[in-house]
Amino acid sequence: MVGIDPETDFTVGPWLEEHAGGKLADDEVILGANAHIFFGKSESHVGDVEFFYGRPFKVVGILEATGLGIDDDAFITLDAAYELSSESNVDAVEKADIEPGQISTVMVKVDPRYDRADVARNISLQVPGTAGVTSKELMATSLSRQLQTLTPGLLLIGAGFWFISVLMIGALFTMIVNERRRELGLLQAMGATRGFIFREVMLEAVELTLLGGVTGIVAGSVLILVLKGPVADSLGVEFVWPSASYLVVFTVGYLLLAALTGALAALYPAVSASRLEPYQAIRSGE
Amino acid sequence: MGQQDNRPVMITLEDATKVYTSGGEEVSAIDGVRLEVNQGDYVAVVGHSGSGKTTLVSVMGGLTRPTRGTVKVEGTDIWSLDNRELARLRSERIGFCFQFPSLISTLNCIDNVRLPASFAGGDGGVDAAMELLERVSVAEKARAFPKELSGGQQRRVAIARALFNRPRIILADEPTGDLDEDTEEDIMELFDEVNGEGVTIVMVTHSRRLARRAARVLTMENGTLAENGAGSREA
Ligand SMILES: Nc1ncnc2c1ncn2[C@@H]1O[C@H](COP(=O)(O)OP(=O)(O)O)[C@@H](O)[C@H]1O
Ligand SMILES: [Mg+2]
Repeated sequence: MVGIDPETDFTVGPWLEEHAGGKLADDEVILGANAHIFFGKSESHVGDVEFFYGRPFKVVGILEATGLGIDDDAFITLDAAYELSSESNVDAVEKADIEPGQISTVMVKVDPRYDRADVARNISLQVPGTAGVTSKELMATSLSRQLQTLTPGLLLIGAGFWFISVLMIGALFTMIVNERRRELGLLQAMGATRGFIFREVMLEAVELTLLGGVTGIVAGSVLILVLKGPVADSLGVEFVWPSASYLVVFTVGYLLLAALTGALAALYPAVSASRLEPYQAIRSGE
Repeated sequence: MGQQDNRPVMITLEDATKVYTSGGEEVSAIDGVRLEVNQGDYVAVVGHSGSGKTTLVSVMGGLTRPTRGTVKVEGTDIWSLDNRELARLRSERIGFCFQFPSLISTLNCIDNVRLPASFAGGDGGVDAAMELLERVSVAEKARAFPKELSGGQQRRVAIARALFNRPRIILADEPTGDLDEDTEEDIMELFDEVNGEGVTIVMVTHSRRLARRAARVLTMENGTLAENGAGSREA
């Protein structure tokens, strides 16, 4: 349970303003994506009423999964938290042990121009009884900002590799076509049209790159399964699977791109294969 | 010969010329060839190596575009056809036997034999293919792949394939090239048989002995054609 001061909160407040159109009231709760697990439910919905320490709260929002600790949290107002605590000796099975006015954490949003470690140190020095720490969890925001700056670079590298692979597959298929000139000529002698030859070469290329695409997806999935633990640990975040619909769209799109890559790469070899004069082709390599 | 003249003309070459450029030099593989082949003819083409025999039959069969001149099959100028029509002519009306191994390596024998039917839009029946393989005595290899066959067996399969679409013309480029005499005799008998059914045959050979089995013998020399009368069957 996290009691927040709705007046000064900048963690879930802005989200609440945007999604629920107002400030958190004392009888309302915002749940983290996994919070329902703690009160033994398979899921929670906005509008449900849940009991915390015997006190009813209306669910006004459920946060998206973040992979962070806040997925397990339930956010109520600070006042509600104090009340809940003082009533819990009567209403709840187990007493919540918080004194009125007691605060465990004050979050400080540091202007990016200042060093967070400096700010933390100064707070510790100047405010008695506090320990200033920089939060690893909140790094998620800066992590995603870092990823955002990395993304164009990664995309560029990806595009470069893609371009090179188109050229390489094109070269490969030029070789394959050359090697099979004889048989392609024979097929024409037996009545294959130029269109047929063209389609044969294209189909083979698309089959090949689709196979490559499937291999890539399998290899990528295995890598994710193996590495998600260690990577999440080292970044201090939890691994969150994208939604099923995203995965489906991604997979289909990725395979389409693979097929398109093959088609693009094989275009020139396929056209030149279809233009071979049958006897010249048959005679090659004689 | 009088009887021959009444039969319709199957293949006509007028001024057929194929010029190859190799090493900056122009070589006329065939040069101004004029020829008429009647339906049901059995023509042998003899000549030295390099005289243009292969070029002649491949120009006839729609496999090499002549530099000049016209090639007509049953009155149709085949080199004025578009690519689809020409492909159709190759698959439906002409059976080609090549000088060298010509089976598709990735298909087994029976599928090789049925291949022309797939382009002609036919059903390419397995039974018909088996029958032909029996006729060329390689039925036991129906499911084998070309590399598992001897040279002679491969040629037999290739001939079965050439016959599969029941073409009206067989163009055979040295069909018995390097075969033993028994196989050669089998193939020659098959050609006699097919010719007896009315199929027109143009067969390239460098063997005068084999040429004598044909009704007509033509000699290629330096790209030009000379008729040297009939083979033994009319002598
Ligand atoms: N693709 C080609 N490029 C250059 N010259 C060729 C080509 N095909 C055939 N020739 C030349 O044309 C002539 C006739 O060849 P070909 O028809 O194969 O003769 P044959 O079958 O009687 O041995 C030869 O001089 C050969 O070198
Ligand atoms: Mg030849």
